Amino acid sequence: MSAAPAVPAASRVGRGLLGLWLVLPVVPLLLWAFADRWSFPALLPQEWGVRGLTEAAASGAGAALLRSTLLGAVVAVLATPLGAMAGRALASRQVPGSTAVLAVLMSPLVLPPFAVALGLDVLLLRLRVPAVLGVVVLLVVAALPYTTITMRAAYAAHDRGFEEEARLLGASRWRTVRSVQLPLLAPALAGAAFLAFLVGWSDYVVTLLIGGGRLTTLPLVLASAASATGNDSQVAVLSLTSVLPPVALLAVVTLLGRRGRR
Amino acid sequence: MGDRAGRGLAPADRRRLTRPAVTTTKRPAPPEAPRRRARPRTRALLLVLPAVVPVVAVVGAGLTSALLLSVGLAPLVGEPAFSLDAYRAVATDLGTSLRVSLGIAAAATAVATLVGLCLALAVTAAVRRSRLLGTLAALTIPIPHLVGAAAMGLLLADAGFLSRLLGVDPSSWPPLVGGRLWLAVVAEYAWKESAFIALVVAGVLSSRAASYGETAALLGAGRWARLRYVTLPLAAPALGATAAISFVYVLGSYEVAALLGRAHPEPLAVLAFRLFTSIDLTARPQAAAVAVTTALLALVVVLLALRALRGLAAER
Repeated sequence: MSAAPAVPAASRVGRGLLGLWLVLPVVPLLLWAFADRWSFPALLPQEWGVRGLTEAAASGAGAALLRSTLLGAVVAVLATPLGAMAGRALASRQVPGSTAVLAVLMSPLVLPPFAVALGLDVLLLRLRVPAVLGVVVLLVVAALPYTTITMRAAYAAHDRGFEEEARLLGASRWRTVRSVQLPLLAPALAGAAFLAFLVGWSDYVVTLLIGGGRLTTLPLVLASAASATGNDSQVAVLSLTSVLPPVALLAVVTLLGRRGRR
Repeated sequence: MGDRAGRGLAPADRRRLTRPAVTTTKRPAPPEAPRRRARPRTRALLLVLPAVVPVVAVVGAGLTSALLLSVGLAPLVGEPAFSLDAYRAVATDLGTSLRVSLGIAAAATAVATLVGLCLALAVTAAVRRSRLLGTLAALTIPIPHLVGAAAMGLLLADAGFLSRLLGVDPSSWPPLVGGRLWLAVVAEYAWKESAFIALVVAGVLSSRAASYGETAALLGAGRWARLRYVTLPLAAPALGATAAISFVYVLGSYEVAALLGRAHPEPLAVLAFRLFTSIDLTARPQAAAVAVTTALLALVVVLLALRALRGLAAER
């Protein structure tokens, strides 16, 4: 490695730039969230405070936060078991036409969500399906590619021998799922559920198109605040509110994954 | 306990019990006789159906409904009659929007792929591996695109954080937000997607590149030779796949361009959304026409990407 002494310095600069690339967009969010006054040339806010927080609370962020959490949770609860079952079947290589099945299950990842939502909205209106139900169903479908692919990978690495052992020892099929499969696959399931939660949590266009404004989630509140001007600290607080819960969840999922690997 | 276990056993398992104990390392070939071969397939099918049915129903119904609406076969008022009027009416806008969307998606994907690859290399480097960059990239994943757009707005607008950092007056700051080059939009997508690409590629590299790299180094390959002949070929399929996913995602995404873009011309999703929510009901078939076109474009891109990826895989 002594051949090129310039390389370490260059790589250090490169890494610094990469770190800057990842971090820089978040910095103004953190500063604006607690800035009561921050006019142009100043590099840091002139007055710190919680005006953004009170404005955000006044714009209905609390209720929206609750709704978004609920929406993400419902999507995760529905999409994770469905994806786990499909992932198990696909990993077993017993599914007839598995390439076609996988292509179908991945299709929501590829098709523009607004195109599907737009067509579905017309249909749901005609069939008088409640808007919230339509949003949930569409988002579950949007989450299925993530849960399926995560669980397929997990089941491919999963040792079925443990289950056979349990069955040999007399455990019922359901008992085997509960006491052998679920604990072994808990980290993967947590990861899949997290991704599904994210789909529901961060969706904007489906909620807007199909929900028709009746389901005011956090992204909707944030978007309406961000499209106005002069309320930067409110936008920053709403943004951080949209980021912190999933980041905390990610930490939990990662820790679960570490424990599971041990 | 023994009684319960005995009752819980299905006939098939009683049969299995008579066989020598199975080792735990590898699943043996299915013990079923040929006449029972259908059973695991049926079970697999039953397991996969609860996921396949809603996807087929929702995607199929959504796209069919959009298609019917766009060709006049499902009008909101009046008699259904086949016509391509909606496509004709929106043709000019559609052409512009196609170009804008493809341009944004191409630029964002190019930057994201390059930065994502560099990140993946730094995260999986054999010497001075950067765990910090890996953590930062992982933390970027759960940030919603809408938040990314808000953040880019605060960063790149005139009088935004970057102009303060560089000490440039708002009057001479280039129009990054809402400008002709869609730079803020491209930056947001490139930022988010680079983290996604980095994590997937790093996952592939960390599981496979180390041993190959060591072998190549032992055989006397230098830094660049290892990158060119070991790391890049190993990363290429994952890099290509994630780049394709990012491209298609950006093509069909709405909120970032709606927030950071300009009023005219519009990307496909923004055009479709404006037409769809317009008070003028005759604009709805036009919105559906844009939606159908975008979906077709996404499918074509994916098929091309799959072909290219198959070529990549075949090369090795």
